[in-house]
Amino acid sequence: MSMAQVCCDSAVTAAPVAGPEAEARARARAERRRRAAEAGRWKHAAAAGTAAADATRKRSLEAGELLVARKHGAASVAGRRREMEDAVSVRESFAAEGDADGGGRRDFYGVFDGHGCSHVAEACRDRMHDLLAEELAAADGSGSAATWTAAMERSFARMDAEAMSAGGSAACRCDPHKCDHVGSTAVVAVVEERRVVVANCGDSRALLCRGGGAPPLPLSSDHKPDRPDELERIEAAGGRVIFWEGARVLGVLAMSRAIGDGYLKPYVSSVPEVTVTDRADADECLILASDGLWDVVSNEAACEVARACLRRGRARWCAEAAALLTKLALARRSSDNVSVVVVDLRRRDH
Amino acid sequence: MPYTAPRPSPQQHSRVLSGGGAKAASHGASCAAVPAEVARHHEHAARAGQCCSAVVQAIAAPVGAVWSVVRRFDRPQAYKHFIRSCRLVGGGDVAVGSVREVRVVSGLPATSSRERLEILDDERRVLSFRVVGGEHRLANYRSVTTVHEAGAGAGTGTVVVESYVVDVPHGNTADETRVFVDTIVRCNLQSLARTAERLA
Repeated sequence: MSMAQVCCDSAVTAAPVAGPEAEARARARAERRRRAAEAGRWKHAAAAGTAAADATRKRSLEAGELLVARKHGAASVAGRRREMEDAVSVRESFAAEGDADGGGRRDFYGVFDGHGCSHVAEACRDRMHDLLAEELAAADGSGSAATWTAAMERSFARMDAEAMSAGGSAACRCDPHKCDHVGSTAVVAVVEERRVVVANCGDSRALLCRGGGAPPLPLSSDHKPDRPDELERIEAAGGRVIFWEGARVLGVLAMSRAIGDGYLKPYVSSVPEVTVTDRADADECLILASDGLWDVVSNEAACEVARACLRRGRARWCAEAAALLTKLALARRSSDNVSVVVVDLRRRDH
Repeated sequence: MPYTAPRPSPQQHSRVLSGGGAKAASHGASCAAVPAEVARHHEHAARAGQCCSAVVQAIAAPVGAVWSVVRRFDRPQAYKHFIRSCRLVGGGDVAVGSVREVRVVSGLPATSSRERLEILDDERRVLSFRVVGGEHRLANYRSVTTVHEAGAGAGTGTVVVESYVVDVPHGNTADETRVFVDTIVRCNLQSLARTAERLA
């Protein structure tokens, strides 16, 4: 494990090298060493990555349409927990284009960290973007922050209702009467030409990496039961937060908001917190990830990893950043599933 | 460091009342239907540092259907949906003294539980198990579940009572422990109701 640790550290702290040719050679050497060191260890990561890629669907090109794909990468690993209960969703051009406020096309990204079983997270992966597209189509055309908040809240409420009435997937065979104890986080981002809209429910997280030496900007706030306003809301509803291997609602669940978990309603709410953030020219990327990453990697470290991949100048730097972040989490012995999505936010002229 | 109460607390008793009397009200009328010969199984003497509680669930299904699910010591996941899998240690048939190894679903503050069957009485419909190991914070947990006709005439439904006694973990209060365990037990019994009502 120390080799992986050294490898990850070297990626984070890559030293500057003089001259473009020398730099290119140094990068090639580092890359070859990294791949040689990691090839035997992370084969399952590649397989999981492929599965995540399979979840990516692109809208088919129509005659005459020029579709410029935003660069993104996604990676998921089960980690030390044997079952994989995370799900990742990437849906480019998922909804009708926005109006003047947000501008142009809209891409949907989501990370869903399931607990109790996998089928609620899988349902979110399969349905959340459709529900949101419907809500956006029904919304007034203003594209204001209030409109986005309303659309996200309705989408999450509908997803929650679907999760609690539907049964399991073919894989887990839960039947509808058994699903009260299953739930999922949901952190969702819609990237427009001029804005990023994030809706979060649970303890996954969205982070904006800005360039120019600016600190990372969290676009979501983790819903932990002991967050003061969440604690207050839970107790006002008649619930309790008990410290039982961490702060837990009724001593049971380590997050205060989730899709599903009917048995803990109304204490565990499915209402998302929504942020609408203007994009800036210096923005580098957006990172969405489950707490399997954030429990062991700080916001600053995650941005440094992404930035190091960006500086290598490779076309697939987002996929490399996502894969490297999952490996870093495993190297730091995260005990959870890890799922990461990295989205290139640089302007197209770069 | 073993748990030590700052002052030994008075011994607690939990009783599921079988007859009338003022205290019966606290358990509701349905609990008064528990026969005296079975109610004694729900009397737990809680030592200092322990707590106890009971959860009652009405089920609109015949008592036989409910008991057929409850009594499966080898298949608790049929209605306890926090259980991912269960296997009998050493294989063989279920009998008093059998031990099962239970794996718990994700998201809970527990990974596994090793449990020994203490009572399986098909005549009186009593099942009891004791937790003897596993990765969780519920030391010395002992549970008793009894299944009864709801009363007033045959075919009117079933009442299930599950009571338990357990050590209060270091760092928590007895009240917190009861909130946690009651939540799990209540969720299990509500799942049992849905399962049995579908069978009937």
